[in-house]
Amino acid sequence: MQTSAVYDSLHPLEINLLAAFSQSGEKPVSDSSLQELSQLEPSQVSMALGWLQAKELVRIHSEVTTAWVGLTEVGHRYLADGSPPEWIIRTCRQEAQEGRSFTVKDLQGLNAFPPTELSRALGLLKKEGAIALGAGGRIEATETLSPTVEKLHVLLHELKKDRQELLSFAPDQQTLLRQYAVKRGSAQEPFRIEERIQREYIPTRTGKAVAKRCHAGSAEEVSQLTPDMLKDGSWRNKRFRKYTITLRPPRVAPGRRHPYREFLDLVKHKLVGMGFQEMRGPLVETEFWDMDALYMPQFHPARAIHDVYFVKTPTHAKTVAEPFLSQVAATHETGGTTGSSGWGYRYDTERARRLILRSQGTAVSARTLASNPLIPGKYFSMARCFRYDQVDATHATDFFQIEGIVLGEEINFRTLLGLLTIFAKEMAQAQESKFFPAYFPFTEPSVELHVRHPKLGWMELGGAGLFRPEVTQPLGVTVPVIAWGLGLDRMAMVALGIHDIRELFSVDLEKVRTLRGRFA
Amino acid sequence: MPTISFFQKDFEELLGRAAPPEQLESWLPLVKGELKDVTHATGEIRVELQDSNRPDLWSVEGIARQIRIKLQESPLAYPFLHAKAKPKRRILVAEGLDQVRPYVAACTATGYTVTEESLAQLIQVQEKLADLYGHKRKTVSVGLYRLPRIHFPVTYGLVKPTEARFTPLGFSEKLTLQEILTVHPKGMEYGSILAGQPLLPLLWDTEGQILSFPPIINSQDIGQVHAGDSDLLVEVTGTDMRMVLLTLNIFATNLADRGAVIEPVEVRYPYDTGWGKSIRTPCDISAVQKIPLKAIESALGLPIDSELVQQTLRAYGYEVKASRHTLAVRLPHYRSDLMHPVDVAEDVAISRGYDSFVPVMPAQFTVGSLSALEMMSDYIREHMVGQGFQEIFSNILLSHEELVERMRLPEDEQVVEVDNVMSQSFSCLRSWILPSLLRVETASPRAFYPHRLFEIGEVAIPDSSQELGSRTAVRLAIVIAHPHANFSEVHTCLDMLLFYLVKDYELEPLNHDSFLNGRAGTILCQGQPVGLIGEFHPEVLENWGISVPISAFELDVDWLCRDDS
Repeated sequence: MQTSAVYDSLHPLEINLLAAFSQSGEKPVSDSSLQELSQLEPSQVSMALGWLQAKELVRIHSEVTTAWVGLTEVGHRYLADGSPPEWIIRTCRQEAQEGRSFTVKDLQGLNAFPPTELSRALGLLKKEGAIALGAGGRIEATETLSPTVEKLHVLLHELKKDRQELLSFAPDQQTLLRQYAVKRGSAQEPFRIEERIQREYIPTRTGKAVAKRCHAGSAEEVSQLTPDMLKDGSWRNKRFRKYTITLRPPRVAPGRRHPYREFLDLVKHKLVGMGFQEMRGPLVETEFWDMDALYMPQFHPARAIHDVYFVKTPTHAKTVAEPFLSQVAATHETGGTTGSSGWGYRYDTERARRLILRSQGTAVSARTLASNPLIPGKYFSMARCFRYDQVDATHATDFFQIEGIVLGEEINFRTLLGLLTIFAKEMAQAQESKFFPAYFPFTEPSVELHVRHPKLGWMELGGAGLFRPEVTQPLGVTVPVIAWGLGLDRMAMVALGIHDIRELFSVDLEKVRTLRGRFA
Repeated sequence: MPTISFFQKDFEELLGRAAPPEQLESWLPLVKGELKDVTHATGEIRVELQDSNRPDLWSVEGIARQIRIKLQESPLAYPFLHAKAKPKRRILVAEGLDQVRPYVAACTATGYTVTEESLAQLIQVQEKLADLYGHKRKTVSVGLYRLPRIHFPVTYGLVKPTEARFTPLGFSEKLTLQEILTVHPKGMEYGSILAGQPLLPLLWDTEGQILSFPPIINSQDIGQVHAGDSDLLVEVTGTDMRMVLLTLNIFATNLADRGAVIEPVEVRYPYDTGWGKSIRTPCDISAVQKIPLKAIESALGLPIDSELVQQTLRAYGYEVKASRHTLAVRLPHYRSDLMHPVDVAEDVAISRGYDSFVPVMPAQFTVGSLSALEMMSDYIREHMVGQGFQEIFSNILLSHEELVERMRLPEDEQVVEVDNVMSQSFSCLRSWILPSLLRVETASPRAFYPHRLFEIGEVAIPDSSQELGSRTAVRLAIVIAHPHANFSEVHTCLDMLLFYLVKDYELEPLNHDSFLNGRAGTILCQGQPVGLIGEFHPEVLENWGISVPISAFELDVDWLCRDDS
């Protein structure tokens, strides 16, 4: 691993320690010196040393075991109140001055020390001749001083402040210290001897190289750059914690267009780009504009109760605009002035006013034809339509029809095919298209457009035709008119990865938030 | 648009040559047909026919016929149309039928033994014609009979519902017409066609045997054709003479194509039919029509040679004569769909093949644009997305409960309702958008919060001053849903939107049952109410099964679009 990569992986504590090593000239350093140099807590030093050894940046150079001696709580009590032998002599002398004396039992009765300690002290004093036992077991302090009591006194004072290395004491003192040190079976002792291992550490070769990069103060790690750091320039001394950038970030819900509408936006903008002007119409329509004006006879099977939604109230529009009503009626009955034979039935003007929910976008085109459209002119609408269908994977309660018209003297069957070729390229990126004879009640000739979509293969893209003169002339239009409609939902559904048309209008927010696709 | 089913072998026999499905598919544009599927094991083929004005194509016979004509490039000859001899058989129509079911036409087909397959085809055509072309038997229905059992002349007359009795198809005992209407499945299905008629139509022969009770049901013995029968009577009744004649012509032609000898029947009416009182069927029903060649040229967008166009039309079954600028054309007797020269133009194009036309790009210059309303909508959508809102796109048919009751609106609140409701869930056009957004909230408690939703779209507002009784408006609605959603948050969103739309507004306290009192307002622009804003009433949320507070507003986009706003 490169030293820079190793450096980058270091924890600030490790950097601090390596800096301490480089400060001491890469010589072996003891852990206590490391503490001093790095100003870290002993626990931090030992933690960081552990990591550095694991990374093979530092190894142990030498290991020395030393014994240290210090006072226990008992020791501190002896220091304050005297050790048991001292206490015995002091107590006995006081009693003697007042002409009294104690027996062993009396001393025990004072409860100053536990009986075992007391009896050990009595044994010691008696052995060293500092006390004598008189008649009736009375204890008498002699003039002889106990050397052990003196030595203990000295040692207690010696260790009063801090613990010391055992070896720094004289041999006899060491013996005494060991004798009065806490060990198994005798917890109540004044001294404690601890073995400590002192190690010296030295950086490895890599460690030395990395240590050169480390210097005190480089180690402060921060997670966030703050305005203050930028103001005072202190960012220069910071180390910015590295992130684990491979983790997934938390989710948010951004503001977003609806994916299906996004698709329709694209279509809309393409149509505008091709010179189409948007037209709009009402959701509630008369049968007149929805069907009669499109030369669908009133007895047409697709006009039955099971195909169209009828409005409950009011059932009928107040009027249908003239002269369109009369002209359409005449066309249905006899062909009127259109050169057609007509359907040859009795046209019902009452039925013409019947209100329905718009069943086809062509109703919007019919209204446009009747409102002095531009010639030449191109129009489109994205009309919400309603069909009386059972709702299932291929039928929604309401849906959008993208359709329109092209008016102009130049319009004929071949320009119709030309327009469809443009649609194939623009809407489906298709280089190949095929035209099939089709049937729509309001166009003749009628064409079905099939295209080879680059991903979906051959598919039906739309239907079109030239409006019958029975449609255009009663509405006041004398030039030929192309009527076209595009079926683009399948492309949208494939792009969005859905198989059910109802999902285009999903009420499931999670679905809407996650639905995505590339349309272009 | 019927879908029919037939067998490849049957089709090939009718066509007179082998025709694998791929070959058939290449011919289908001639009949506006689409190959739906092929079962190779059985040779069964399903084809959907598009043209609702060409019922002659709704059968394997019709499809094969159109292709045969194309292959031989001239119409087929049907001698029964021109038979000189007086028809041997007659149907006598009684007085009064002009008020019930005025027209009948019939012919006989002999010398062809019906097979299982051709019987299935006969029944299929009978059903498709009566159902789709004949509006579920209302305008046209067809009956097939075993000819040898019938003693002519046959009477098409009227009887009282309880007067006549016969054994209808599928039954073993005799029923009166009244009983047939109430207990026979076909009587129940089609009885409404004769509703309110004191006398009912009936066909019987000179010996009093009942043939059928049109358009309901045939008799069990005479009116049931079996495979192996070779002499048939075909009869059509209906309410439209042209359609009745056309339907009979189609049947006669189909049977003739299978090799039957067709003999006309004479029908005598006591009233005028528009085609005379005595008429021999089948017969030619189309007159010769004069079509200016120019009409075809301008429709198709190319100069057309008169010779060539005649040839093209003959190859599609027309009789054609031509002068320099005019074509005199007549449709074959099994068609009746020529209303305008453009119909001929299409047939020319189909006969030639659409692929033979070179597309021409429309060249005239036009300016593309969006409506002001759409541009405003797009601007607002972009703004709301910028404010961090998810756009919602809803179906706009909702239930009355969702639009009114759940919103705590008075029960008589006006909405545009559907009369022929299919499902209560989709019985009303939405009159405002907020219920659509609450529908999303109800369905989405598991989507992480906050929810910031908007929808811009159409609503229908009942308005008796309008021609249509309602007007279509565009509205924007937003909802904010999270545990601390409140008025101030949604107010800020409104404030920002209207700031960037350069609209001044005020809020006026509003008592609206959908919202918490004291936390709702009317949005006023230039003193005009253009929307409302508030925190939803807890009961509204409860009604929708929503357990998080929601604040919302709804705004009239049409108003924002107005020039003077």
